[in-house]
Amino acid sequence: MFSKLRLNVIFLIFAIFLSLIFRELFILQIINNDENTQDIISQNFETFYIPAPRGEILDLNGNKLAESILEPYLFLNQKKINEENITIYKQFISFNFNELTNEEIDNFFNSQELFVEIANLNEYETDLRIKIQDYEAFQIFNQPKRTYIYKDLFSHVIGYIGKPNQNELIEYSNAFGNKTVGKNGLERYYENILSGQPSEITLQNGEIIEIKPAVPGKDIQITVDVNAQEVVKESLQQGIILANKSFDTVNLIERGAVVVQKIDTGEITAMVSLPDFDPNQFVLGISEFEFKKLNRTQAFNNFAIQGLYPPGSVFKVVAYWLAVNEGIFPEDASNSGQYVNCEGSLSFGFDDGSKQVYQDWKPEGHGRVNLSEALKQSCNVYFWDIALKIWRTFGNTDSEAMLQEYSKELGFSSLSKIDLPFEKEGVIPDRELFEDWKISKPELVRPEGWLGGDLMNLIIGQGAITTTPIQVSNAYRALLTGIKSNPYLFNEDLNINEENINISSEFINFLLDDLNLVTNPGGTAYRSFQVMGDLTYDIGGKTGTAQNAGDLNNTSWFVGVDSISNPKYLIVTVVEEGGSGSAVAAPVSRRIIQYLLEEDLTPVEFGEITE
Amino acid sequence: MINRRITILGPEGTNVYVIFQYLIFCVISWFTLFNITNEIGLDIQNVLVRQITFTLLGLTVFFLFTYVSISNIFALSNVLMISSTILLIGVLFTVESLGARRRYDLGVFDFQPSEFTKIAFVIFLAAVISQKRNNLLGLALILSNILLVYSQPDLGTTIILLSVVLGMYFISDVKLKTLLAFLIMMFVSFFILLEFDLVSSFQVQRITDFYSAEIQDFSQKQSRLQISLGGFLGDNLSNTENISIFVPVQTTDFIFSSFAKSYGFIGCITLLFLWIFFGFRVYSLIITTNSEFEKFLLAGFMILLYLQILINIATVVGLIPLTGDPFPLLSLGGSSIIAVSTIFGIINRIFIENNQVI
Repeated sequence: MFSKLRLNVIFLIFAIFLSLIFRELFILQIINNDENTQDIISQNFETFYIPAPRGEILDLNGNKLAESILEPYLFLNQKKINEENITIYKQFISFNFNELTNEEIDNFFNSQELFVEIANLNEYETDLRIKIQDYEAFQIFNQPKRTYIYKDLFSHVIGYIGKPNQNELIEYSNAFGNKTVGKNGLERYYENILSGQPSEITLQNGEIIEIKPAVPGKDIQITVDVNAQEVVKESLQQGIILANKSFDTVNLIERGAVVVQKIDTGEITAMVSLPDFDPNQFVLGISEFEFKKLNRTQAFNNFAIQGLYPPGSVFKVVAYWLAVNEGIFPEDASNSGQYVNCEGSLSFGFDDGSKQVYQDWKPEGHGRVNLSEALKQSCNVYFWDIALKIWRTFGNTDSEAMLQEYSKELGFSSLSKIDLPFEKEGVIPDRELFEDWKISKPELVRPEGWLGGDLMNLIIGQGAITTTPIQVSNAYRALLTGIKSNPYLFNEDLNINEENINISSEFINFLLDDLNLVTNPGGTAYRSFQVMGDLTYDIGGKTGTAQNAGDLNNTSWFVGVDSISNPKYLIVTVVEEGGSGSAVAAPVSRRIIQYLLEEDLTPVEFGEITE
Repeated sequence: MINRRITILGPEGTNVYVIFQYLIFCVISWFTLFNITNEIGLDIQNVLVRQITFTLLGLTVFFLFTYVSISNIFALSNVLMISSTILLIGVLFTVESLGARRRYDLGVFDFQPSEFTKIAFVIFLAAVISQKRNNLLGLALILSNILLVYSQPDLGTTIILLSVVLGMYFISDVKLKTLLAFLIMMFVSFFILLEFDLVSSFQVQRITDFYSAEIQDFSQKQSRLQISLGGFLGDNLSNTENISIFVPVQTTDFIFSSFAKSYGFIGCITLLFLWIFFGFRVYSLIITTNSEFEKFLLAGFMILLYLQILINIATVVGLIPLTGDPFPLLSLGGSSIIAVSTIFGIINRIFIENNQVI
C-alpha cells in the first residue's frame, strides 16, 4: 500500500536539504560576492603545453617510416627560480650539461616560457635523474621525438615538421601546444590526422594542479613500398651519374624524379625526387649553412609534383589519341595504318606567305611511317603534319584549340590533386594564353601571338608547354584505363574523384601495342631494354627528349609500362639536363621495371642517343 | 482500457506541460554550455553541437516512451532489471579509463550502463512493491546491481541507488522496524568491507578529509568562488568585467557553478523553482492516479531526479564531499540525457493515461 504521509516526509527532507542549499547560495552570491571576487583576481592560473606524439607513418607492408617516441626531457620551472637559488641552478646545469654554453644557460633563465626545456635526459647518464630529484624547480616531462627511420629515402613524400609560423598557428589549432607542425609532404597534408592534442598542464603560482593527458595523433598507412622506393632511388642515382659521365654540360646534372603509379587504382608505389635531404636534420635543428646548401641545390623541391618541364615526345600520345579519335592524319594518309614518307624535314607555307623548314631529329628521315611507326621511332615530321592539318582545317576557328582540349582532358595544366602540398600545375599554351602573355610576359612571346608553328611545337611537347612527372603519369594512366582520378598516397581520408574519359578498349590495346614497339627492335628505347632479352616483348614505353633554351642540355624523359598483356605499373622518369630520353631516362626505368617484374637487377647503362 | 487515438505527438496529443518543462531545461543547458565555451562551430568536438545532438536523441527517446503504455513497462520490469545486471557485468571487462570501468565506448559518445540501471531500478522496485512480491530473487538482483555499480567503482551512483531503494520501501507501508534493521545491516556490512580492505582507502579518506580539515577539494573551492562571481543578477545581466576562473570538469559535473556564475542568484532560484513546480505537478498526479504501480513509479522517479539534483548542487557548493553525479538535463553527456528523457517520456505517458492533458 502506498503511504501518502511517508511520501510527504520524503519531500519534507528534500525541502530541508534544498533550503540549506539556498542558504549556501545566498551566502556565496550575495554576502561574500565582493570578497571572493578579490580572491579570484589574486589567483594566478597559467597553462603550459607538452606536445602530443604524432601518428606513425607506415608503408604498404607496415614498415615504420616515421615514428614519435616519448623521451624524458628536463624542464626548468621558471616560477620556482628566485634570486636565492638562481646561482645554484646555473651551476648545476653548467656542471652536468657540459655542451651547453654559458650564453645558452643564461637564455634559459631569461626565457618567457613557464617551463624551459633544458635537455633530453636520454642523452645523459641515468644517475643524473636521481640528482635532479633534489631540485624542486626541475621537472621531467616525456616529450615525443619525431624520427624518420629511412632518413633521406622519403624526404619528399613524408616531408618534415618544424616550428609553426603565424599562419600555421591560425590554421592548425593544435600547432601551438604541439610546438611543431607539418611543413611539407604528408606531414603537412595530413597534419590534422597525424597531430594529436597536446597535454595541458595547469599551474597555480608555480605549482602544478592539473595535468590533462595528451591525445596521440592517428597513424596512417600509405601506399608506397620501401623496397620499391629503394630500387627507384638507386636507379635514378645511377642514371644521374651516367648522365654526368656522358655529357659535357655546363651545370652539374643532379636533378631528377621518378613516379611509380599503380594503373588500376592510381596509388603511388614509389616517388623519388633528387637531390634529397635527411628530414631528421629538422628535428635536431639544422644549421643555417646546411639549410642554405640544400636550398641552393633545390633539395626541398619535390620535382615529381613541382618540377615543370616541357614533356618532349612523351607528349606525342596526346596527338596520337586525337588522331585516332578525330580521324586527323597527315595530308597523304586517311587512316592510322596508311604510310607517309618522312624525309627528315618538313617545309611548309602558311596563308600569310611565310615559308619554313622544320628539321626532324633524324636528318636522313624515318622513311615510310604510319601512326604506329611514328610513335615507335618518335618521328616528328608525322606529328607536325597532323598539327598542320589541324591548323589548316580549323585555324582561327573555335576548334583551333583541339589539341589543347585533348591535353586538358588528360589532366595537363591542372593539379593532379595528389595528397601532397604545393603541387604545381604547369601550362598548356594556346592563343588566349599568348595574348595574356603579350601583356604580362612580353619577353616570352612574339608580337604576332599564337601561330601555326606554336601548335607544331606543342604537338611534340616543346615550346611553352610545361608539365610535372605526376601529370604525365596520370595522363598515361587515363589513356590506358579511360579513368582520370587523383593519384594518392593515403586513401582513407581522401575523396577520389573519378572522371570517365571516352576511350575504347580497342584504342587501349592499339596504344599498348605501339608502346611495346618502342622497347623492341627499331624503337627508340630498344638499346636500353635489350638486356632484358625476350621480356621486352611484353614491355612498353615512350621516350622523350625536351629541348631547353640556351646552353642547357635536353631534359630526359621516359614513360614505361611494366607489362603489355597485364599492365600494372606506370614508371615516369625525368632527368633534368639528362640528355636524350632513350639514353638516360629509359635505362633508369628499365632497372625499375626489372624490379617490378622480380627480375635480376642490372646496372643502368647508357642507351642510344635519339631525338 | 479505452482505445486511444494515436496522434503525431503520442496518444491524444502529448502533455504540453511535460514537454515544455523538458525543453526549457535543455535550452538552459545549451545557453550555459555556450557561456562556457563561447564558440560556435559545426565540429562534433564542440560541446554545444554535442549537447544539441544529444538533446535531439533525447527528444526521440522521449516520444518513443510516450507510445509505450504503462502496462507494457510493468510487464517489462523483470527483463529491464536482468539486462541492467548483464550490462553492469559487461562493463567490468571494458578498458579502464581514469581509474574506473564505467562506460562502453560507442564512438560518438560513451554509454554509461549505470544510467540505465537507475531507471530499471525504479521500474523494478515499483513493480515489486506494488505487487507485494518480495521474493529472494528480486532482492538478490537489487543487491547485485548495487554491488556491481560499487565495484566500477562509482560511489556516487551507489549512494543514489541505495537511497532509491530505501526511499521507495519507506513510502510503501513496510514496517519502520524492517527498514531500520536494513539500515543497521548496511552499516555493519560497510564496516566489514572496510575491515577487509574492500573499500578503497582513497574513498574513505576523501570523506574523512572533507569533514576534518578546513581545506576542501580543489575543484570545490574553485566552484564556490565561481558561484560567488555570479552575484545577484549574474554575469550576463550585470555588465561587470568578465573575470574567468579555472574549474575542472566544467561542462559535466560542475556545470551548475558555471550556470550560477552566468545567471546569478536569480537564475539559481528560477531553475530550482522550475524543478519544484514540476515536482508539485507530478505530486498531484501521484495522489490522483489509481494505479499503485504508477504511484510508486512516479515517486521513485521523483526521488531519483531530486536526489541527483540535490547531491549535484550540494557537491558544487561544497556542502558534501565530491561524488561526481551529473545534473539532470543540464550537464553535458549522452547517457544522462537519454536516461532523463526516458523518465520524462514515461511520466508524460502516465499523465496521458490519466487524461491529465493540459
